[in-house]
Amino acid sequence: MSEGIKISWNNASLTLLPDKAIYWPSQKVLFIADPHFGKAATFRKSGIPIPEQGTRDDCVRLSKLIEKTRADSLVILGDFFHARLGKTQEIHDILFRWRENFSELNIHLIRGNHDLNSGDPWHDLQIKCHQDPFKLFDLECRHIPISPSKEPYLAGHIHPGFTLKGKGKNRMRAACFHVNHSHIVLPAFGSFTGLKNINPEPGDQIFLTNGEEIIKVPCRK
Amino acid sequence: MVTKKIKSPNSPKPPEKINDFFKSRNWKPFPFQKKTWKAYRDGKSGLVHAPTGTGKTYAVWAPPLLDWMEANRSGRKARPKLQVLWLTPLRALVEDTTRSLCELVDELEIPWTVESRTGDTSGSIKAKQRRSFPSALVTTPESLSLLLSYPETKECFSELQAVVVDEWHELLSTKRGSQTELCLARLRKWNPNLRTWGLSATLGNLEEAMAALIGNQKNGVLIDGDIQKKFVVKTIIPKNMECFPWAGHLGGKLLEQVAQAIEKKSTSLVFTNVRSQTEYWFDALLKIRPEWKGQIGIHHGSIDRKVRMEVEDRLRAGSIKAVVCTSSLDLGVDFSPVEQVIQIGGPKGIARLLQRAGRCGHQPGAISNVLCVPTQAMELIEYAAARHSINQKKIEQREPLQSPLDLLAQHLITLALGGGFREKETLKEIRTAWSFRNLTKDEWDWTIEFIVQGGKTLRAYDQFKRVVLREGLYCVESNRISRFHRMSIGTITSDPAILVKFQTGKILGTIEESFISRIKIGSRFFFSGKLLTLIRIRDLTAVVKLAKKGKGAIPVWGGGKSPVSSELAKSVRERIEEFRLGQSKDPEMKAMKKTLNLQSQWSCLPKFSEFLIEKTVTRDGNNWFLFPFAGRLAHEGLACLIAFRMSKLEPMTLSVSFNDYGLNLCSNSEKDVGEKTWRTLLRPEGLIEELLQCMNQSEMAKRQFREVARVAGLIFQGYPGAQKSIKQVQASGGLFFDVFSKYDPDNLLLTQARREVLDRQLETRRLTQKLKEIESQNVIINETDRLTPFSFPLWAESLRTQISSESWSDRVRKMAQELEAE
Repeated sequence: MSEGIKISWNNASLTLLPDKAIYWPSQKVLFIADPHFGKAATFRKSGIPIPEQGTRDDCVRLSKLIEKTRADSLVILGDFFHARLGKTQEIHDILFRWRENFSELNIHLIRGNHDLNSGDPWHDLQIKCHQDPFKLFDLECRHIPISPSKEPYLAGHIHPGFTLKGKGKNRMRAACFHVNHSHIVLPAFGSFTGLKNINPEPGDQIFLTNGEEIIKVPCRK
Repeated sequence: MVTKKIKSPNSPKPPEKINDFFKSRNWKPFPFQKKTWKAYRDGKSGLVHAPTGTGKTYAVWAPPLLDWMEANRSGRKARPKLQVLWLTPLRALVEDTTRSLCELVDELEIPWTVESRTGDTSGSIKAKQRRSFPSALVTTPESLSLLLSYPETKECFSELQAVVVDEWHELLSTKRGSQTELCLARLRKWNPNLRTWGLSATLGNLEEAMAALIGNQKNGVLIDGDIQKKFVVKTIIPKNMECFPWAGHLGGKLLEQVAQAIEKKSTSLVFTNVRSQTEYWFDALLKIRPEWKGQIGIHHGSIDRKVRMEVEDRLRAGSIKAVVCTSSLDLGVDFSPVEQVIQIGGPKGIARLLQRAGRCGHQPGAISNVLCVPTQAMELIEYAAARHSINQKKIEQREPLQSPLDLLAQHLITLALGGGFREKETLKEIRTAWSFRNLTKDEWDWTIEFIVQGGKTLRAYDQFKRVVLREGLYCVESNRISRFHRMSIGTITSDPAILVKFQTGKILGTIEESFISRIKIGSRFFFSGKLLTLIRIRDLTAVVKLAKKGKGAIPVWGGGKSPVSSELAKSVRERIEEFRLGQSKDPEMKAMKKTLNLQSQWSCLPKFSEFLIEKTVTRDGNNWFLFPFAGRLAHEGLACLIAFRMSKLEPMTLSVSFNDYGLNLCSNSEKDVGEKTWRTLLRPEGLIEELLQCMNQSEMAKRQFREVARVAGLIFQGYPGAQKSIKQVQASGGLFFDVFSKYDPDNLLLTQARREVLDRQLETRRLTQKLKEIESQNVIINETDRLTPFSFPLWAESLRTQISSESWSDRVRKMAQELEAE
C-alpha cells in the first residue's frame, strides 16, 4: 500500500490514505466514513446470500490503519451500521474482538441516517455517539454534507466515486476523496458498499483510490 | 357404460357458428386454420407459424371454444372455470388481445369471460381473480410465474384445457422464454393432457421452436400458415450519394422525402431502430410540417401507458396520420388502417424487417409495403440483401437458452412458495423444459444449495433461510422473503426504470436509470416528443419541466445498437459479390456504384475466398481495418481478442472500434504486421480461453452479472415509492460481482454471467465460425494512402469515443469532404 497523499487543507495538514481513511498527524486522529457494518447480514436475513468475510476483512484493514498511524482516536463519520436487521450476534462478536485489541482507542461516531434507524452501537464497543454535525478536535464533523456551510467540514454519506476515462473504451471507476475548500467527503470505508459518481465543480480536487494506491486525478471542466 | 349424446335442436352446430362469424366479415377460413382446429380436437399441441395479419389468432382461439360448445351442447349457462391461458410477451399487447378474444366469444354467445392480468392490473382485481378466475385469462410469462407462487392456483387451474403462447418467436431465445417453458412444465405436471399451442412468425428453426414450446408432449403439429403474403421492399435513394458513408448523417437529408411519403398514404408507421431516433424523427417531422401537430404520434416502450394506448386507439380507428415508433409496435394485433411501413435505418435482421412490413396490409391477402430510409450508405446494401433473403425465405434462427441457473433459482423459490416442491420429481419436471433438458445433477445440486444455504460459502450461517427443507418438502416460511420474491419475479431484464413526471404530477413515462444518471440537473433532453429540463431525481422519479426551444440532447437507450444478423451479413457479402461480378440488379446496388467502385480502386472488393485487411496511417496513428462482415457483436469480441494477442507480441496501447462490417485497431506502434503474424492473430485456437482472459480485465462480465443477479433474486429493483426496508437490501450488480469474485469465486452465477457474455455479447459461436472461415481464405493486406469507403465509417466511429459530439461531426464532415475531393 502506498503512503498516501499529504494535503494542506484549511491550515490543517492531513494525509489521505489509500485505504479510504484520513489521518491528521497533529491530533493523532484517524477519520473514516460509512463502514456499514452488518450489511451482508441484513442481506442474508432477506434471503440474499452474501458471505460475511467482508466485515472481518474490514476490521483487519482498520487494525492495520491504526497500527500504522498510531492514532489515539478514531472518528467515524456516520453509518456505522447498515440496518437494525443486521445487528446480529455474529457482527457483535467480530467487532467486540476487534475492540479488545484497541482498548485504549477513543472512538467517536457521528450518527448517520442509517444509524438513526438501527440505533447506536452496542455499549461494550465503547463508542461515543454524537448528533450530526458535531465538533471534534475543533473540526466540524458531519455525516451528510451540506452546501453552503459556515465552516469547513469532513463528511461521508455520499460514497463518492469517479470514472476515469481513457482513450477508446478505457474506463476505470473507483472510490474517491472529494476535496474542496469547504469540505472533504470521504469514500465509504465498508468493502460491501456501492459508489455514486460525483460531478466535481471547477476548482475541486479528486483523489481516486482502489484501496492500494491513491492518485490525484485531473478534473477537466 | 354407454353415454348418449343429446343434440340440442335449437342451436346450430358449433362449426357452423364459426362459419357464420367468418361469413359476417366476408372472410373464409384458411386451410391452415381448419388444420389447426382438427389437430386441437385430436388433443394435440403444436405451433402455427405465419406472417402477422393472417388470422393466426382465430386459428388457435376458435378450437377451445368449439370444443367446449361441443361438450356443452345443452346450452350451459354457467360461466366455466379457467379453460384457456393466453400468454403474450408484451404487457402492452394484453389489453388488445383480450378485446379481440372477447369478440369471438360475444359472437358465439357462450357464457365465457375473458380477462387480463398483468403488473398493471390493480391489486383488488388481482385478488378477485385469484378467488374466481375468468374462463380465459390473458397474461404475460411473469404474471403466470407469479400466479404459480400462490398455492391456491393449482385448484383454480384444475379445468385448464389449453395454453396459447402468442408471438413465441419473441420469447424463444430469451430468459422469459425459458421462464415460460418452466411454467408450462409445471402446468403439464398438473395436467398431462394440457394442450400447448404457439403462434410464431417465420423462423429459421421452427422445429426447435416447437420442441421448446411443447416440452415433453409428443406428436406436436407444425402448421404452416403461410398464405403467400406479398412483401415489397422499396428504398428512398438519396439523390446525391457520397462515397464516404458514416453513421447517421444521411437520415436527416431524406426527411423531406419521408414527409412526402407520409402525405401520400392515410396512415403510416415509421419504425426506427432505437428509441432516441424515435424522439429525433418525431421532432424533426414536426419541425418541417408544423401543421401535423396532433396528427402524428410517438410510441415506444418508455412512454407512459396511457399515451401509448391513446396512440394505439387512434391507429386502430385510422384517425392518425403517422406514428413514429420502435419495436414496441413490432408485435400485436391488427392495426388494419395502416397502409405503409417506413423503416428508418438498417433492417438489422430479415425476420425483423418481415415482422415490421407485416404491420401494414393487414387484411388477409393484402400486400405489405415497406419503404426503407437509409441513415448511412452501407444500409442500402442491407436493404437489397434483406429483399433477396425474404424472396429466398432465408430467415434467422433463434436459439433457446441453455440452463440459465439464475432463472432456475427464481423458479424453484416460486415453486417453494406455491405449495412447496420435492427434489426428485421436480428435477424430472424441470428437465422437461427445453432450456433445461441438459441440466446436470451438479448444476441442480448447486442451485438447491444456493437457495437453501446461499451457496458453499454460506454453509456456516444459519440466518440465511430463503428456502427451508421440511420433511422432504422445500418451502418458504418467512413472509419477508415471500414478499420480496414475489416483487422480484416481474423483473427479468431491463435497467431500473425511472419514472419521468412533471411537477404537477403528470406522468410522461419511464426512462432507463443509466441514461438519466448521465444527465445533469438543469440539462435538457428529448423525451416523449417533448423537450424537457431535468429538475431533480429522487426515489426513482425524475421530475422535469418543459424546456425552452433550442437544441436538446437526444436520449440514448441501452441495447440500442443491435447487430445485423449473421444471415443478413452473409447476404450483404453476396450482394457485394454480385456487384463485383457486374450482376447487380437492385436499385440500391446501383446507387452504391460510385462508392463500391472507389473501394475497389483504392483497395479492393474482397471475393468470398478473400479476407481484406487495410492499413492506413492517419494522424491518430497506425490503423488496421479488418472486414469480417460478421456483425458488431462478433466484431467487438474479435477486436478484444486481436488487441489482446497483439499486446502480447509487443506491449502497446491500442484503441479499437467496430461496426457491423468490420473493426479498426489503432496504435502508435510502428510494428509491421505481416501476413504470417495476422494468421496467428486470427487463429481460432484458444479463442474462448483468451477471450475469458481479456474479459477479466474488462467490465463486461460485471455488467452482465447485473441481469443474472437480478433474476436470481439478489437485486431488488425497487420501484417509485417502495418501502424503506427494500432500500436497505439494495446493492448494485457490480458490488455483488466483486464480493462473489473475492469470496465465492466458484459461484455458478459468475460462471453463467461469463457464459452469457461469451454467447450473447461476444457471440463466440459466430466468432469461431468466422475465424475458421478466415483460416481458409487468402489474407489480402492493402496499404492505402487514404481512408477507403469501407474504412471511413470505422475511423469515424473510433473518433466518436475520443471527442465531444459536436467537434466529432465537424471533423468527420471535413474528412469526408477532403476524401470526396480526391
